[in-house]
Amino acid sequence: MATISVNHLSFSYPTEDGQKPLTLADLSTTFPSGGFSLLTGPSGSGKSTLMKIISGLYPKFGGLITAGEVCLNGTKISNIPETDRGHLVAMMFQNPNQQFAMDTVERELIFALENQCVPPADMMARVNRALDYVEINELRQRQLNSLSGGEKQKVALAVIIAMQADTILLDEPFASVDPVARQLLLAKLAKLQHEEHKTILISDHDLEDYDHYIDHLFVLNANGDSLKLLSDEAAKQKLDHFKRQDTSNQELGLPATTDQPLIQAHHLTLTAGNSTLLAQPEINFFQHHITLLTGANGTGKSTLLLAISKLHQYAGSLLLNQKEIAKMRTRQLYQQVALIFQDADQQFLNVTVSEELTLSLKNSRTPAYFKERLPEFLTKLHLEDLQDHVVYTLSGGQKKKLQILEMLIMATPVLLLDEPFTGLDFSSLQTIIAIMKQVTHDNQQTLVIVSHQLFGLDTLVDYHVTLTNKRLQYVEELA
Amino acid sequence: MKYSNAWHLRDIILLTLIAIFFGVIYWVVGPLYNVLTVALTPIGLGPGANDVVMGIWVMAGPLAGYVFKKVGSATLGEFLGSVVEMFLGGQWGASTMISGVVQGVASELGFAFTGYKRYDWFSLNLSVLTTTIVTFGWDMIRNGYAQYHLGLLIALFIIRLVSTWLFAGVLVKAIVNLLDRTHLMQTQTR
Amino acid sequence: MNPSLKFLLAVLIALEISFTSTWLVNLGLAVIGLLIILSSRPTLKRLAMLFFVPLIPALALAVAILLQSNAGTHFALVLFTRIYAYVFVGSAATLTTTVTDLVMSLEQNARIPSKFAYGFLGAFNLLPKIVSEVNVIRAAGNMRGQVLHIWSPQLYFKAILASLDWSENLAEAMTSHGFTEGAPRTYFKRIRIHWWDWLIFAGSLALLQIALFGLHLR
Repeated sequence: MATISVNHLSFSYPTEDGQKPLTLADLSTTFPSGGFSLLTGPSGSGKSTLMKIISGLYPKFGGLITAGEVCLNGTKISNIPETDRGHLVAMMFQNPNQQFAMDTVERELIFALENQCVPPADMMARVNRALDYVEINELRQRQLNSLSGGEKQKVALAVIIAMQADTILLDEPFASVDPVARQLLLAKLAKLQHEEHKTILISDHDLEDYDHYIDHLFVLNANGDSLKLLSDEAAKQKLDHFKRQDTSNQELGLPATTDQPLIQAHHLTLTAGNSTLLAQPEINFFQHHITLLTGANGTGKSTLLLAISKLHQYAGSLLLNQKEIAKMRTRQLYQQVALIFQDADQQFLNVTVSEELTLSLKNSRTPAYFKERLPEFLTKLHLEDLQDHVVYTLSGGQKKKLQILEMLIMATPVLLLDEPFTGLDFSSLQTIIAIMKQVTHDNQQTLVIVSHQLFGLDTLVDYHVTLTNKRLQYVEELA
Repeated sequence: MKYSNAWHLRDIILLTLIAIFFGVIYWVVGPLYNVLTVALTPIGLGPGANDVVMGIWVMAGPLAGYVFKKVGSATLGEFLGSVVEMFLGGQWGASTMISGVVQGVASELGFAFTGYKRYDWFSLNLSVLTTTIVTFGWDMIRNGYAQYHLGLLIALFIIRLVSTWLFAGVLVKAIVNLLDRTHLMQTQTR
Repeated sequence: MNPSLKFLLAVLIALEISFTSTWLVNLGLAVIGLLIILSSRPTLKRLAMLFFVPLIPALALAVAILLQSNAGTHFALVLFTRIYAYVFVGSAATLTTTVTDLVMSLEQNARIPSKFAYGFLGAFNLLPKIVSEVNVIRAAGNMRGQVLHIWSPQLYFKAILASLDWSENLAEAMTSHGFTEGAPRTYFKRIRIHWWDWLIFAGSLALLQIALFGLHLR
């Protein structure tokens, strides 16, 4: 058991010119010992930063504590020797891909135990127990690179269990985890809390499924200057409200027989590592229509977009304009298909906002159209004063707006969008949807949008496809 | 700006990642070397391909020197790259690691001659020069360049110098300029 | 054989044959290398690649000597066999040792600081992700009408930005998994250098000297 107390904590990532803007300002709270706490707040509010301070990774790996402190059981984190921290606190990270040093599951667990100077004779027992606990004994000898997002996070939890850490921190751990794995992980965490009296703290902006498990709900506000424990009543309300948002039923139509198929799949199979994500006998996406694609995390929606962009191998047939995508030359393909990546940083090629926009305008299919409208778009999106700003240091929301805009400017016949709306506040979301609607209509584009965020999409999308049980299917309702 | 000469875990991972990226880019982007060699072999100028692409081979060294600004970073960058290359099955087998050290030391010399104090166009050019001379010396031995007629030898040296200057000089400088403008580096390499 | 000694031996052999000109020794080394490679039961495709890949530089060097120097066929043969010796001896080491085993041996036997050992290993294990990231960078360029060539600064710039991001993630994760620079660690798998490792090492080098010297005298 361990109590985490945050006392008047202020934290900054100093800029090059010596300024110290506060990411977190004067936060104080106590995460109860032996409790299961959920920390929520809008993206960009500093949840991740706070988690990394508690785990002792910051300021070692970045930033600066400008005031206050974080204590574990009354001891300042910085005063706990690094070699002892593993017993006290361990962390599961948002990105499951860069979490492991070794090649196989078993070796990663052993690596962690070696780091803790566990006697070699005791190691196997602890490895066995940890793998059994998370029910992944069959993954023991597998290459970590061949595992799905959900499997990787199970391994990450097994490592934490083997390390016997008292406090378990999880930083947005379910972003690429499928629903079944997510339920299992949550159940295991609850078991760790109840039977082994671990203290558990999860940060997440998505509140679904948590109501059965958590004891406390903490909210960090958008500016990072207020961290509050909600009363049980307020917490219940917030969790219920989150659910209701997602179930606002809207009716859409099904594709008409007169619709022209532009992307056609026949016996399409997509795999990730050893598991099959999608086995689709037949599906079409239709020209000049906007199709929304939804499904749980980790089920293969992004993979499908990557396959259409020739960035993921597929079996079977996937046609664009009657041509097999795998056989198309990349330059020819990318004149017709563009993908808005989930990670905005992957989209950018240059340094500043204006360089990014200039490049898109230069190579756009309809430069005149955008030259005329760009100033208006930039003003609406509040990007007009950021022209000389470095794109990589924009806020998450600004990055997304710039990314969508610069890809709209390209005006490719097909535009694929992978979670384009994450990190956008309400008014930005409405503005960007209005711009998308106008531009794609004027340029007669075909869109496939993968999104968890459904709010406001009823006015944008024509059709809705769901991905469940490895099958894609058109549905009428938007829910 | 103060730089520490100590290598931390993060630096080592970063350096290795950069080295692997450069190796992968070389393999993914084009089998330039093979095509060129095959084309030049019938007229006995096959080894010239090695000199034409030399600049691409030795880019990681000066880039690492420039990015990390630590003693030994150019050498370590090239060496780690060569270990990776050897495991990926490069064309030079067990000699890859020796070449890695030779190339690394070669580009390191440029920075060493300025006492690791100057990281500008001058030290980069000096590194280009030392790289060309030292690697050429190594190929005199390993690849039997010492036996060629003098005219060919001079021509190969000039080709190598130009290639190294274009890639390990001009291109590296362009990459570094982009990086500097993001201001992302100085928070990373302390 | 102990991985550290095995690689040291391979590099020493490569170094030595770089400075000597005895094609029979090169050929002998290539044959021994090939036998070891065969014992690791490589796929047919891999074996074909092993023969084909060195052929290009080997032929280039040999033809150049014949056409562009007075060194003659003997030296051309030396260079040709030298390349095959390099590759087969090198592959004999890499194909019979995993990177993980080599790194663990370097940590335990050669006393390389653990931060170098595991820093390298962690980065190496991201190799598949690195390959796909390079494809993503090039696709992102193409989607914006900009073809990224091997001489395009953006290609490397983006690769380094990704490296910055990943290195931070991985270093944090390893730290969270209890790794501390310079701190003592225990070893689940003890890697030792046995007397026969030293014997193979010293014996191989001695045999090489005898062969080189003997053939030189002849």
